Amino acid sequence: MSEPGVQRQAIRALHRWRLPLTWLALLLVLTLGMAELESVFRWIETESRQVIYDRADFVTLLGRHLLVVMVASLLATLIGVSAAIAVTRRAGRDFLPLVAQIASMGQTFPPVAVLALAVPVLGFGTLPIIVALLLYGLLPIVRNTLAGLQGIEPSILEAARGMGMSRGQVLRQVELPLAAPVILAGIRTSVTVNIATAALGATVGASNLGDPIISGIVNGNTAYILQGALMIGLLALTVDSTFERLTRRQVSR
Amino acid sequence: MIELFDVTRRFGDETAVDAISLRVESGELCALVGTSGCGKSTTLRMINRLIEHSEGEIHIDGQPIRRFKEDALRRRIGYVIQSTGLFPHWTVARNIGLVPRLLKWSAERIESRVEELMALLGLPRETFADKYPHQLSGGQAQRVGVARALAADPDILLMDEPFGALDPITREALQDELREVQARLHKTIVFVTHDMDEALRLADKLVVMDAGRIVQQGTPLELLHEPATPFVESMLGGDDRGLKEASLVRVGERMLPLGPRLIATARVHRDATLRQALAVMFREHADRLTVIDDEDMPVGELSLRRLVGNTRHE
Repeated sequence: MSEPGVQRQAIRALHRWRLPLTWLALLLVLTLGMAELESVFRWIETESRQVIYDRADFVTLLGRHLLVVMVASLLATLIGVSAAIAVTRRAGRDFLPLVAQIASMGQTFPPVAVLALAVPVLGFGTLPIIVALLLYGLLPIVRNTLAGLQGIEPSILEAARGMGMSRGQVLRQVELPLAAPVILAGIRTSVTVNIATAALGATVGASNLGDPIISGIVNGNTAYILQGALMIGLLALTVDSTFERLTRRQVSR
Repeated sequence: MIELFDVTRRFGDETAVDAISLRVESGELCALVGTSGCGKSTTLRMINRLIEHSEGEIHIDGQPIRRFKEDALRRRIGYVIQSTGLFPHWTVARNIGLVPRLLKWSAERIESRVEELMALLGLPRETFADKYPHQLSGGQAQRVGVARALAADPDILLMDEPFGALDPITREALQDELREVQARLHKTIVFVTHDMDEALRLADKLVVMDAGRIVQQGTPLELLHEPATPFVESMLGGDDRGLKEASLVRVGERMLPLGPRLIATARVHRDATLRQALAVMFREHADRLTVIDDEDMPVGELSLRRLVGNTRHE
């Protein structure tokens, strides 16, 4: 391909990704330049001496937050998708209602309660929040994977089997690709919700973007709360718009 | 060759197919006809083991089908269904190449085979190869379905009401195409339909089913001449079956050589059916037609008396 062609393609890609990129840029600006905004926060929070959260720098907090969410979501995706696949196979069909029920119970259980129960067992720190996020994020993934797999037109599967595809081939080449947009939507919901919920980790000693918020509440410092909330909000928007982009590409293909 | 020996299929207490025996010769198109729920689709799907038979034996080329692995068996049997079952996330070309890919053909061989089939079914490659199923009309999608079934050149083709969802004009066009394809390829075809006209048009052998049993089997003309039961007779359209018979016989088979009499002005082609000839007579108010060939040259004549098969004095 010629030089201008490559350039034009790059520009088009940039254009398609402009929303996620904007959120990401804002997030990075805030992470690195929070201190520059001191005057703004001082105007909001007039009472306190200190208006920029400084017990840990925002890069570290963001990194830990992302790590916790990523580990929990990765595990939730792995477990959720495999479970949904397993119960839609012939051998696992008996467990379908059970799995659907457990997954929805996971959602009704408040994450705080999971944390409260997990701390005595797992101790303080990062582990209980990962467990809580994992359980909490499982439902949308299981539910969507089930919906995606069961929403495939039966005649397509009949044709696939009738043509002589093995069960594994049907799953990999037909079922999963056709269910992919719905599964991806489930993962998107799960990750986005978990980015917000992960802030609760700060209450059990997992230091992340929830720290400024908790500390702000404890000390009555609105500026801290705002800083944590802004960061979490921008992170959620960045990830969500990235997923949106990925899902759209899937569909148009 | 496909043979069924006393094949039975039960679903719980219900017997869907009840001890049927059937033999489909190589190169023959056998139509299974009956009302819905008569067991014709179940019979078809037992042949490629999408449904397992409960009792009896099914043989392909003398071998019991349970001796083959399911997937291997299905890869050598083409399968066409009414709703096409095309994969919506694959292009037309990729859909057609499915079975050859399963059989691990080389990429070049698959490509040339796909090209050949698209030409055979009147789907120009430049226009259709990269389209997705949702961009096709019903008739085009079903052509792709047939091409996919033929891809690995199977000896046997199973077709489950393949043209049932199409409008009458497209359906007839596809029936004609299937006849042409069959005249060239000589596949062994089992064709399920509830449309008796379709069955009469296409079948070498007709099998009428009712309540899981075979009521009568034979060539279309045998059934039309001697329907075994009132059910078969009603399936064949009652009094209308004379017209159905007329549409199975060609003018060329009944015509007489040109006689000394004046040539009739109304004309009909040698390959037209008697039914079409009758229509021409009705339209032209004529009881005598001149039969012409491809070059529009008169080659014979056909009287109404002759047409209806009254050959006593002519």
